[in-house]
Amino acid sequence: MAFIEVHDLVKEYKVNIRNKGLIGSIKSLLIPEYTMKSAVDGINFTIEEGETVGFIGPNGAGKSTTVKMLTGILVPTSGSITIGGLSPYKDRKLNTAKLGVVFGQRSQLWWDLPVIDTFDLLKYIYKIPENIHKSNIEHFSEILGLDEFIKQPVRQLSLGQRMRAEIAASLLHNPEIIFFDEPTIGLDVVAKEKIREFVKFINKERNTTMLFTTHDMVDIEKTCDRMIIIDHGKKIYDGTVEEIKDTYGGNRILSVEFGQNYENILMSGLELIEEKGNKKHFKFAKDDFQVSYLIQKLSQQYEILDITVQEPEIDGIIREIYQGGIKLNESLSGVC
Amino acid sequence: MRVYLEFAKKSFQNSIVYRMDYFAGVINAIVMILVNIYIWKAIYEEEAAIEGVQFKIIVTYIIISFLMQMVYMMDEYFIENKVRSGLISMDMLKPIHFRWYVFSYNIGTVVFRLLLQFTPAIIVSIFLFNLLGPFSVLYFSYFLLSAVLGYLVLYNLNFIVWISSFWFYWTFSLVTIKDAAVMILSGAMIPLWFMPEWLVDFIKLTPFDAIFYIPIRVYLGMVPEQEILSALFRQVMWIFILFLIGQLLWKAATKKLVVQGG
Ligand SMILES: Nc1ncnc2c1ncn2[C@@H]1O[C@H](COP(=O)(O)OP(=O)(O)OP(=O)(O)O)[C@@H](O)[C@H]1O
Ligand SMILES: [Mg+2]
Repeated sequence: MAFIEVHDLVKEYKVNIRNKGLIGSIKSLLIPEYTMKSAVDGINFTIEEGETVGFIGPNGAGKSTTVKMLTGILVPTSGSITIGGLSPYKDRKLNTAKLGVVFGQRSQLWWDLPVIDTFDLLKYIYKIPENIHKSNIEHFSEILGLDEFIKQPVRQLSLGQRMRAEIAASLLHNPEIIFFDEPTIGLDVVAKEKIREFVKFINKERNTTMLFTTHDMVDIEKTCDRMIIIDHGKKIYDGTVEEIKDTYGGNRILSVEFGQNYENILMSGLELIEEKGNKKHFKFAKDDFQVSYLIQKLSQQYEILDITVQEPEIDGIIREIYQGGIKLNESLSGVC
Repeated sequence: MRVYLEFAKKSFQNSIVYRMDYFAGVINAIVMILVNIYIWKAIYEEEAAIEGVQFKIIVTYIIISFLMQMVYMMDEYFIENKVRSGLISMDMLKPIHFRWYVFSYNIGTVVFRLLLQFTPAIIVSIFLFNLLGPFSVLYFSYFLLSAVLGYLVLYNLNFIVWISSFWFYWTFSLVTIKDAAVMILSGAMIPLWFMPEWLVDFIKLTPFDAIFYIPIRVYLGMVPEQEILSALFRQVMWIFILFLIGQLLWKAATKKLVVQGG
């Protein structure tokens, strides 16, 4: 039995239909109408101890809904979840003691209290032994740079400072499992990087199991081995990050700066995707043409000043999957 | 257990931060006492009984009632705010009993009010309004016990109203109705012995008189000694019943909780 098991998970929200206009709103008041909106529609997956899983999907895919059910604060409409043999909802108190949760959208720190006071309260809430508590705070402060604001009330912190404090707070009790829902939202590159390094470090050090929701593919690439993609409440991919890149990252971008502005550059294998004066970008399939061959061909015919080859970013691939541009093909082992 | 003590401490500290509320509470209580004493004075002057025992008892009744109301003041929107903002999820994510958490938060506030609001207000009342002392030392200890029970009745009643925010999201009107009912039916404003008999009979079927009326009457020595135990028992019974209803609602609420946003 896997550490985390999710079977046929379904969540339907009851949505109030509000009619338009005055008459309509009076009608809605007297005779409320509802529809059921399914946010999660039969998801299955398992996660082993120590695994790091990126959980992605477009807006409204059902990611947060799934995470809420995993943490036990939302009761599934049907289906089952077990975490280490416990039901997150039925054994909520027992289960939450093992969890570290960060919802990027909302704070779990006490608004009026200095960060350090929150850490103190958490010590009592989770019954963290004094020495572990102390060494964790020291350790986390160092990596996340908490010292500069640890005595300030939370409401005065900048977003990036608050997120760093949130993440430290969620890990003080050495949880076995971490659920992160967009912990890097709205952060600058440096802060994001700090958080990614920290998360990776914790995973390595303590073999913490982790589910990481984000819209930033770099987060996933840097911290996760595995990736689950969901859309419209259904799982559409479950496999390694590498695999998706290898299979769908088949194209390369060739950017060329020419000596003069050539009108029509025609060459088999190269497809013009963007041009700005002398600078032109082409797309080619890496398995069909060798770069050296293309460069040689080009330089024979044209005057070239500069040339670069780029790998497509995972971002681009994911975007195409969301937009339906890439149909995940059945041969891919990760496709469900 | 330790964690709830910490919550109470934090809520105590939190109360200190909101100093305006602190002064407003003291001034409000004193003004309310003053206004009510003048109303009763007007009534008794008509009957030319202003020097009588009756009037002194009424004055004491009013003072005790409003001081108790000041100490019993609770944050009616504590849970509602959490539900509406979705911050309730942060509490549910912690390995703590939510009900104990809310209770310890309120206890912290009570301690704050006792130390920093009640003390100045009672001193002012003693010097300004001729407060009668308790009936006897024994009755005073009964009063203290009964006042604690009265608080618990009110707290458990309030909890039921608060928890309804899981369904209604806005509880302002419900809180207002509840406040009005408590004001009138608990004898907080007018001693129940002035009420028509049928109304008193009705009130006896509700928890309201267990909040203020019973403790104040004990203070004034108006409950015969052989009836004190049954009066206290009535309070305990209501605490128990209201607590159970609150518990059922709480169980249902966690099942239907929809955490907004994210
Ligand atoms: N409380 C609610 N009541 C009704 N519908 C809801 C509620 N919460 C979420 N939904 C709907 O459920 C679907 C999934 O929402 P969810 O928050 O899980 O998406 P998400 O994948 O986290 O998206 P995002 O990337 O934007 O955070 C959405 O269509 C949303 O409108
Ligand atoms: Mg979300």
